[in-house]
Amino acid sequence: MEIVSGGVTDVGRVRTNNEDSFRILEPLNLFILSDGMGGEAHGEVASALAVETIADYCAQPKEDSGVTLAGVAPDNWSADTKRLQNAVSQANFRIYDSAQKNPEQRGMGATLTAAWVNGSKLSVAHVGDSRAYLLRNGALQQLTSDHSLVAEQVRRGILTPQQAEESEMQSVLLRALGAHPEVQVDVDETELFPHDVLLLCSDGLTRMVTEPEIAGTLQAETNPVSAAQKLVDLANERGGLDNVTVIVARVQDESKGWLSWMRRGSAKKD
Amino acid sequence: MAKLSLMFEDKLVKQVPIGARPVTIGRSPDNDLPVDNLAVSTYHARVYYEAGRLVVEDLESLNGTFVNDLRVERATLHDGDSIWIGKHHIKVDATADTAIPLDTGRKAVAPKINETMVLDTKARRDMLQQAAATGERSQFSPGRIRMATLVVLNGNVNQKEYLLTNKLTVIGKSPMATVRLRGWFKPKMAAQINQRDDGYYLGTGDKVPTVNGAPIAGPVRLNDGDLIEVCGVRMNFIFRE
Repeated sequence: MEIVSGGVTDVGRVRTNNEDSFRILEPLNLFILSDGMGGEAHGEVASALAVETIADYCAQPKEDSGVTLAGVAPDNWSADTKRLQNAVSQANFRIYDSAQKNPEQRGMGATLTAAWVNGSKLSVAHVGDSRAYLLRNGALQQLTSDHSLVAEQVRRGILTPQQAEESEMQSVLLRALGAHPEVQVDVDETELFPHDVLLLCSDGLTRMVTEPEIAGTLQAETNPVSAAQKLVDLANERGGLDNVTVIVARVQDESKGWLSWMRRGSAKKD
Repeated sequence: MAKLSLMFEDKLVKQVPIGARPVTIGRSPDNDLPVDNLAVSTYHARVYYEAGRLVVEDLESLNGTFVNDLRVERATLHDGDSIWIGKHHIKVDATADTAIPLDTGRKAVAPKINETMVLDTKARRDMLQQAAATGERSQFSPGRIRMATLVVLNGNVNQKEYLLTNKLTVIGKSPMATVRLRGWFKPKMAAQINQRDDGYYLGTGDKVPTVNGAPIAGPVRLNDGDLIEVCGVRMNFIFRE
């Protein structure tokens, strides 16, 4: 599947440092986003460590494909999805380990949302409250569930989504990378279709901009970098209370008809 | 006179009475209750009397001050309360004081937007239980998990029943689709169901499905017992326990 992508990160209008990190590995179709936490620049250390660890792990030769290093992976996940899950587990341990060895880093942590496209299969791994969305047929489908207190209360029917948006407890996370030596990593798998648009974003976007606005921007702007920039600008216009990071990946149209069959045929002979 | 007892696990570290002067708590040795732990700020919090009430005040510490399980900036203390600072806690003994009615003066202070925090397992459980106890719409009881299920009534598909465990369930002819349609001229992706925090939403694909006979315009939230029809397949959306 041919994918075009781009990402933008911005410090916002209130904070002095940007604790978000992201990375796009185009040859692998791997997209990684992390939002760090912890005072005095340690949030940046945590999110950068998360992103680099996952990028390195997934870029290695596939020797351990399908082996589950940590946690429980259902058997029906593909090797790529398990591999992504392992990468996130390793990132968690490296942040935890670094904080143990460097007392000034105590309390640092990070959220993590990663998407990996192999063929038409999308693997998503996630810890924290950075989100992955899929724009399909003009509607946003949410691919992750926030590991935050308010989201858990919505899932249990204690709060409505509106109450959750207005809650003062939105910053309270139930899971993050670096807090414990092991972390439960949520993974999911789904199929991508032509014209799908994948969006990864930190909470600096979703707390400032509504889902219909996000959907509208992704439909109006087909260039991924411009779309990401427009979403960041919108978050900043609304106050930019937090760092904001956006990755947009667009699945290109498949070439159709007998010409593509001929091309496919010739490619096989090569 | 009220007393504060600094505890580490079950061991008493130090005990001080509270007089007219505030009792200070922090990592620096010149505090009344010094706590030697890196998670504790130099001057972390103080406890003092104000208008006959015993008050704890967080001194903008990095990791926060908790009374029982609530993070506080300022809170009225009662006999038997515990102030948690890092891994230490301070027991409040105010038996000698006149009783102060509960539920006055205490207000949980939400973390500011720039202090994202992670709850540990115990704090998490307690907060959720607390929230569940006060929630009016609470339908949740621990141990009862509701699984969303599609039960096929008729139509040419690969299974009789589907558990909706993925965030996105695709109904279509595609080999990766969860509900796999069979037969000629079926679309790869006919419709989809998105699992969100507040429920399951049916959305259009290459076809417009109907819910209880009415075609949907955009994503609609499914209710227990809804009848879904797409590409000649009729299914019941139900919650199984």
